[in-house]
Amino acid sequence: MQTSMAGLSGWLIRHPPLFTLLLIVLVSLVIGAISPQFWQMANLFDMARASVVTGLFGLGFLVVLAAGGIDMSFTAIAALLMYWLTTATAAYAPWMPMGVVLAAAAVGGMLLGMCNGLLVHYLKAPALIVTIGTQYVIRSFLLTFVGTELFVNIPMSIENFGKYEIWRVGTDNGSIAILPAYVLVLVVAAIVTWWILNRTLMGRAIFAIGGNSDIAERLGYDIRKVQVFAFAYSGLLAGIAGMLHVSSNRLANPFDLSGTEMGVIAAVVLGGARITGGSGTVAGTLLGVVLITLVNNVLILAGIPSTWQAFVVGCFIVLAGALFATREKR
Amino acid sequence: MATMKKLAVCALLLGSVFTIGTALAAGNKTIVTVVKLAGETWFTRMDQGVKDYGVKTAGVTTSEIGPGKADAAQQERLIEDLIARGVDAIAVVPFDPPMLEGVLKRAMDRGIKVMTHEANNLKNTQVDMEAFDNAAFGAHFNDQLADCMGKSGTWTSFVGSLGSLTHVQWADASAANAAKKYPDMKLVSAKNESFNDANTAYNKAKELLKKFPDLKGIEGGSAVDVIGIGRAVEEAGLVGKICVYGIGMPNDTSRYLKSGAVNGISLWDPKDAGFVMNKIAHMLVDGTEFKEGMDLGVPGYNNMHVKQGPGKGIIVTGQAWIDVNKDNLDKYNF
Repeated sequence: MQTSMAGLSGWLIRHPPLFTLLLIVLVSLVIGAISPQFWQMANLFDMARASVVTGLFGLGFLVVLAAGGIDMSFTAIAALLMYWLTTATAAYAPWMPMGVVLAAAAVGGMLLGMCNGLLVHYLKAPALIVTIGTQYVIRSFLLTFVGTELFVNIPMSIENFGKYEIWRVGTDNGSIAILPAYVLVLVVAAIVTWWILNRTLMGRAIFAIGGNSDIAERLGYDIRKVQVFAFAYSGLLAGIAGMLHVSSNRLANPFDLSGTEMGVIAAVVLGGARITGGSGTVAGTLLGVVLITLVNNVLILAGIPSTWQAFVVGCFIVLAGALFATREKR
Repeated sequence: MATMKKLAVCALLLGSVFTIGTALAAGNKTIVTVVKLAGETWFTRMDQGVKDYGVKTAGVTTSEIGPGKADAAQQERLIEDLIARGVDAIAVVPFDPPMLEGVLKRAMDRGIKVMTHEANNLKNTQVDMEAFDNAAFGAHFNDQLADCMGKSGTWTSFVGSLGSLTHVQWADASAANAAKKYPDMKLVSAKNESFNDANTAYNKAKELLKKFPDLKGIEGGSAVDVIGIGRAVEEAGLVGKICVYGIGMPNDTSRYLKSGAVNGISLWDPKDAGFVMNKIAHMLVDGTEFKEGMDLGVPGYNNMHVKQGPGKGIIVTGQAWIDVNKDNLDKYNF
């Protein structure tokens, strides 16, 4: 028994995402026992839908974290681009197809991310501080120069994109559950991120610099190139995430998404990436996102009163974080 | 070139407005309304009421001004300018009431009449006008919901956050109203927080629909709650089966009101509020007494309740909510 336990924990250490998976199963079993409504297709669809924006943010954050940086500005980048592009498209080019809008959001996010990367590289300041700064600058720019009002007359192309369905099922109480097509964007982004991290020289450079930048530099890796790439990639995904948020929400609110970065960071770290950099996997990050989404979206099902919900989420994160810490010490 | 032309026309128009303004002001009392943010839909609508009062009433000139961005310091500077200009009365919708205590005191010391709106915690004002009592507003939501639900069934409520005082007051008053009047209505999982985010309201509404398959009524707290709830109801194919009421803005909510996913929204009309604010300011200039139960001549403001405010001034409260649904939506373009 002793040895099998030790064997199990050793196995978990070698495969951090499995530990996250274990937590997901555990939470599901507990909630399912409390509330049988948990076990239905509609819930799975809702979870998938709610994971998309967090998932895109998480993948971007994973790449920056793996390269030894931290990005705090991605929600601001997403908010700026989603509001600006939506209002501008509605005003000047309502006929613009969603593909073009998404591409514009990706390019815009990439450029802002590149600024982050260049600032971090040339100022030699901690990425945390630099990106907290750019977060304020971007958000303030949005609210001062672009707008503060809720915008509901979003172009039809953007709205329709959020309505494409992959799958639709009826539920027992006569209502309908829909799996929207935009979850595929997260699937594609996950595959691309996996490919970059595991199959390209850039991926190897990212982990090398995140692990130990001095040694990596001596080995001939171009730190500037890697840092700019990591932040640009995070910005690119943030831009796309912002447009998906508008598309599913059917309105653009410049105050949306602010404050959600903490959940994203928790998801990536609970997915097994070290906060100090140099590690992390796409599968782990996605599982971390599922875990955080799960915890955030089953509190009502579990019958927890709204006054206690933040408390429960907070306790869960501390507990899960502590479990991860003991895992790493062994 | 076109821009230059437009600018020239604007300048000409502006010039003529000022000339007429000064000419009229010679024997007229001047009342200026200072709002939180110039150009915002809400205050553009309020401006109609402000102008309307000036046009319909002899002996006063009314106008509305506001800072270009929502900022208490800029609002304070605008009021300083009005004191320097020596207007007769100022009607203010403060961005942050305590920030204006000093400048409003200076205005009153100079003999300028001061009235405020949505600032029942402000000390340095002569009259603060509130469109309605929050508890009565909450009960009103609940009465509408009860009518729609046939006075029985499971219902729940939303708030922007548990820290938003007015939202919590509405939700609590709704719950108390249901407990008193409708014994067959069952409140479940009350005061869900949307964090003023329509998407969060949507996610929580979906979860509530799963947890309580027999849910028949939902009340929104923040102005975007009904938008998220409406989308959840629409997507679940439950339009007509679930009653949704809450505070909201007519234009923002119109698509869900039209589809029937949201049954009705309630709010107060900034146009009426602007009119009544100027009426009150005018009464202060004329030295008219404020009596309990007085009629200010606008529906909802026919039976004003008068009580002592936190400072020397009084608070007058109306019952001025309007109910907007798909039938009367066209009347409210804001």
